[in-house]
Amino acid sequence: MIFMVMGLPLAAGGLVFILPRNGQRNGVLFWTALSHLLLVASFWIYPPHSALNGFFALDSFGIIILSIVSVLFFAVSLYVPAYLGNEEGRSNHVFTGCLLFLLFAMTVIALSRHLGLFWVAVEFTTLMSAPLINFHRRPQGLEATWKYLMIGSVGIALALLGTFFLAISAIQIKSLVLDEVLGQASLLSTPWLKLGVIFLAVGYGTKMGLVPMHSWKPDAYGEAPGPVGALLAGGLTNCAFLAFLRIYQICHAAGQTEFLRPILLTLGMLSIALAALSMLGQVDFNRLLAYSSIEHMGILILGLGLGGLGLYGSLFHSVNNAFSKGLIFLISGTLYQKYQSKRINHIHGVVRVFPWTGGLLIVALLAVTGIPPFGTFFSEWMILSAALTGRHYGIAFFYLVFLSVVFIALVEVFLRMARGVPPAALVERSAKDSWGTTIPPLLLAGLALLLGIYMPPFLDQALKQSSVLLGV
Amino acid sequence: MVEVFPVILRFAVCVLFSPFILGVIGKTKAFFAGKQGPPLLQLYYDISKLIQKGSVYSRTTTWIFRAAPLVSWAAVLIASLLIPLGGLKAPLQFAGDVILFAYLLALARFFTILAAMDTGSSFEGMGASREAAFSCLSEAALFLNFATLVVLSKSISLSRMITECSWDSWVRLGPSFILIIVSYFIILLVENARIPIDDPATHLELTMIHEVMVLDHSGPDFAFILYAGAIKLFVLGGVLVTFLIPFQSRNVVLNTVILCAAMTGLALAIGVVESAMARLRLNRVPSFIIGSFVLALFGLIIALSRA
Amino acid sequence: MMINNGLDTALAAIVILAICLLGSSRLGLIIKLFALQSLVVSAIPFLLGGDLGIHKIIIAAGTFLLKVVFIPSMLFWAVRHVSIRRDTPSLLGVSLSLLLAGFLVGLSFFLAAQFPLVKITFSDLLIPSAFSTLFIGFLLLISRNKAITQVVGYLVMENGIVLFGFLLLETTPLVVELGIFLDIFVGVFIMGIFINHIQNEFDHTDISQLTALKG
Repeated sequence: MIFMVMGLPLAAGGLVFILPRNGQRNGVLFWTALSHLLLVASFWIYPPHSALNGFFALDSFGIIILSIVSVLFFAVSLYVPAYLGNEEGRSNHVFTGCLLFLLFAMTVIALSRHLGLFWVAVEFTTLMSAPLINFHRRPQGLEATWKYLMIGSVGIALALLGTFFLAISAIQIKSLVLDEVLGQASLLSTPWLKLGVIFLAVGYGTKMGLVPMHSWKPDAYGEAPGPVGALLAGGLTNCAFLAFLRIYQICHAAGQTEFLRPILLTLGMLSIALAALSMLGQVDFNRLLAYSSIEHMGILILGLGLGGLGLYGSLFHSVNNAFSKGLIFLISGTLYQKYQSKRINHIHGVVRVFPWTGGLLIVALLAVTGIPPFGTFFSEWMILSAALTGRHYGIAFFYLVFLSVVFIALVEVFLRMARGVPPAALVERSAKDSWGTTIPPLLLAGLALLLGIYMPPFLDQALKQSSVLLGV
Repeated sequence: MVEVFPVILRFAVCVLFSPFILGVIGKTKAFFAGKQGPPLLQLYYDISKLIQKGSVYSRTTTWIFRAAPLVSWAAVLIASLLIPLGGLKAPLQFAGDVILFAYLLALARFFTILAAMDTGSSFEGMGASREAAFSCLSEAALFLNFATLVVLSKSISLSRMITECSWDSWVRLGPSFILIIVSYFIILLVENARIPIDDPATHLELTMIHEVMVLDHSGPDFAFILYAGAIKLFVLGGVLVTFLIPFQSRNVVLNTVILCAAMTGLALAIGVVESAMARLRLNRVPSFIIGSFVLALFGLIIALSRA
Repeated sequence: MMINNGLDTALAAIVILAICLLGSSRLGLIIKLFALQSLVVSAIPFLLGGDLGIHKIIIAAGTFLLKVVFIPSMLFWAVRHVSIRRDTPSLLGVSLSLLLAGFLVGLSFFLAAQFPLVKITFSDLLIPSAFSTLFIGFLLLISRNKAITQVVGYLVMENGIVLFGFLLLETTPLVVELGIFLDIFVGVFIMGIFINHIQNEFDHTDISQLTALKG
């Protein structure tokens, strides 16, 4: 079963390059996404067996991340035909092919138990997402993609170095399969482990977009089309977060959490602070969302660093954030299509002209800033209470300050875009919402809301199990 | 107790054989260019022709101009006494003689530069300034090379340093050995103003360094300058060759023959390098010398980490 | 402290070639020096001593094919339309980069002394060379303007990391090694394509002039 869930997107990706027509490719995308979703859903009920000598297995972290990725991909697969259908009549084989290979790589990340294989898959996601960013073929897109490729590749190379250091520290364990490392963690050589953790944090932190390795994120998210942004912000970042979870697991087993904690807290606070401050006065909508993504990544890492309830909150937040980011990036894609611009002052009067999109825009605002009853509120609240119970009063204070700054920045921008008079050109054209671009974001919004109101027991159980694995 | 015959023999070799080296280099370059080239003994003919001529001195020059050729010739001859040549031991050895060696060569260069500036012509002054600039860097690299040898052989006498590090101690030294050789070869090219630093055949203002400094000398003075150049090449090359010769026999004459053969081989190598490379642009020369410096630094670091 | 001379010479050659890379400014020469360095790297599994397993042969052959044959030809393909074939360091200058490289080599030896290996089986030069190549590759990446040199800098960094990987030759499964090869191949392929795009779009491959995105 595990091989099927990995092999399906891989085969589909290959198939897409052979098929002649755009419509067929969209069809392949949709059916693969649907099958993937159904398979992952079945994993909740019947957990699959491990494969290939323990190289691939599904633990509670894996199933959460895999489900997020699968749901997001399904929504994107519904959105893409409507989005591409409105673009110029180009062949979309590179686009759909890379999307499917991206799904393959993210699935491998969630399922991999060998840290080396994990790395291979993460690097593969960088490579497969680069062509997606340049979809609009603008010069700025080239610049953004090049920066993404270079910074991403260097970061991932450092992560490989960290993996090797980890392997050197595990030289007496003779294997880098996670279960074996965790089982014999007392044999890990501490100086090499610490060095490895530092490089892994820098490398995978670059992938996640933490400060100070974040400079590629505003450019890349700023230039990427909406659905790509949704996958990057909701899916890839969570896969990079999975890397941090694995690092935490190993450190916990080796008794080195006190070494890791300050690193996580620093990275988290820096990311939140810089992102919040950069959001003020931002003129480009997608770049604004990129900084929002950086901020949420900071929150995730902060929660991980705080420990206790923060671990549960952090994991819950990764789910909420994925859905809310997916929602807002799909909306941004629609807005770019309709208004032909990413600049905030060019987009106004959304509610008047596109009532559904406008409504979803407001909903997205609430979800991203963490207003109840959306799930994001509860996860951010859990992290705050973890800070208070752990007596990190300074952290709690600044956390609240920066979240307020973010709230102010986002509210101002979103409301300005939603209200007001729409541009005359659009009114003349009597542009309308289309089903294809409305249903997927609606779906994600519903999920974001649902998680706030009602926590499904299976999710709760998975989150609790994960917290146990992290040593709560 | 120093034996007299070997000392006289090596002195004779040094004095008589060194112009031959330059002839070999010239013939090699001509061979690569598809030309006949000047005869092998050309420098001997040049020196004997020049000695028979008279000298012309400019009115602006002082005693420095007259003294410089003799000083440089004497300095390099004394420097030749400090180094072991093949199996022949150095007549003069004491702790720290490596510094004397380097500074004797520097003395020769110093007087040449002064003489060039003494002429009062901006043409020679330009050559003098270039020579001074490049020799700053090359001396630093040379001293790093010697420092590596000091670390490896644990002594600061030039003879001990070179003979300790013979070919079969490569097992101990490893990559430091190769790095020293490459770096030293580059310094050899720099100190003797060969391509790719300076073209001894060119007489264009833009590109000359060494040639332009000695432009004003004539007659016996110029003969001594040419001779000193040949002996300097022989001395610096002799260090490298002694470093590389794998064995030494008991027989002094056999050692001398091996030395001459090895020096000819080195001259061939220099000729090949000169034919294969083009002269570097003047502002790239410092980067080249710094490259040699970094190689020597690398060798030193390896030697230190093994020490 | 074991001394293994073939291995030592190869490791020193790798660092020397990295330094030469730093000192050159011709694009063609840079790619050729990288190919030469990768050739030496692919020979290292055989110099490590121990028995000659199929594992080592595959890794050496893979490194050779990938980094000596395929990647340089891909890089030459990407450069074929570029009009300017020179690339000097913008911020530092060649001399200063070289001196900085020398300093970084010294730093690598210092760092290597801080981290003792539990079981030292190979040469004591392996870790310093790996660090040096890594640092020099990184320096090459950030100090140059042209896209091709940045890619070569990244690849030299990878060479340094691969040297670290040789410490773990027995324990790394073949699947992972092949995965790493695949990643590097696809990576350079995609980078080559983008260099082509940049050349077509902007008529130059000078990255320092791509400054449209700010804020």
